[in-house]
Amino acid sequence: MSQTVTLRIYRRDPDLDAAPKYQNYQIELTPGLTVLMALYHVLENVDKTLAFRASCRSAVCGSCGMHINGKNMLACETQLAPLGNEVLIEPLPHLPVLKDLAVDMTRFWDKYEKVRPYLIALKAPPPSGKERLQSVEDRKKIDEFIDCILCACCHTSCSTAWWDKEYLGPAALAKMYRFVADSRDEGGAERLQIAAREDGVFRCHTIFNCTEECPKKIPITFGIQEIKKRVLWGKLAGRM
Amino acid sequence: MPLTKHTVYPGRGLGMWAFWLHRLTGLAIAVYLLMHILVISTVVGGAGNFNEAMKFLKAPIFILLEMGLLAIILIHGFNGARIVLFDLGYGVKKQKPIFIALMALAIIPFVIAFAVALPHIFV
Ligand code: FES
Repeated sequence: MSQTVTLRIYRRDPDLDAAPKYQNYQIELTPGLTVLMALYHVLENVDKTLAFRASCRSAVCGSCGMHINGKNMLACETQLAPLGNEVLIEPLPHLPVLKDLAVDMTRFWDKYEKVRPYLIALKAPPPSGKERLQSVEDRKKIDEFIDCILCACCHTSCSTAWWDKEYLGPAALAKMYRFVADSRDEGGAERLQIAAREDGVFRCHTIFNCTEECPKKIPITFGIQEIKKRVLWGKLAGRM
Repeated sequence: MPLTKHTVYPGRGLGMWAFWLHRLTGLAIAVYLLMHILVISTVVGGAGNFNEAMKFLKAPIFILLEMGLLAIILIHGFNGARIVLFDLGYGVKKQKPIFIALMALAIIPFVIAFAVALPHIFV
């Protein structure tokens, strides 16, 4: 006997609707059906006006972050069956909605840019002309943080980021830590100056929502606190 | 509840509960401080006034309330230590066991204080 699931989806076109509405779609449960596949099923067979973002379908691109049954997660790697008979699907919270499940990520990217999310190398490249080498131990230090796919699940679950629009937020700071902890990066001092600002690491109240919601299980709060520690001791020692 | 109704992210992790507990106990302590100042200020009306207030506050119900206050201060204080620890960069990856351990530790002074207060509550 086939089982059906009700998808309760947030719908809003800001140009037409003043307030969002929730629309129900019945869908037949098939083995291995993910939330994203269910959304595609609705788009292709039931309602062509449904808007959402996705690309890789394999938890790599970070496009499909959504708020599913009260939790931020990736639609493409989430199985529908364990979520119950009625599944509530909403856009990532606290970012402006462009349409339905697609949010405006401008604010997120602006902050990402602020932490200078690339290797800052001051020294000349090695004489071999090849890559800058790193020991296995040094690489281990950034293993977890390299996994970030910029899906914004952390950023949009951070209570401080909800209340303080200027706060850099967990995603940008996790990226900063990825470079601060990288033995090849030489932008450390400059990065810590950015982190020490009013809108930087000290806005983090260690609520751990970011760490809870990260689909890649990155210990984001740990990274933020590591930067905090470096700034704190740097200031106390008069180094910055 | 749909997300559009929320003003705070509906996080369900232990860290979010600790955060709420810290804000609420902090507010309660601030309210207590106001009441405390109010009581102490009766001294302005002379020693008699103040003694009168003190006698009134010896009633068992106030001792019981003070136990509540103690619990609130212990939670806030012990969790505060946890936050300081994290801000110095220690134990962040062990946040959950640290929270549980500190709350368990906070029970000890509470039980001692309760034992001392018991005869004053049930007179
Ligand atoms: S579609 Fe790429 S992460 Fe989900």
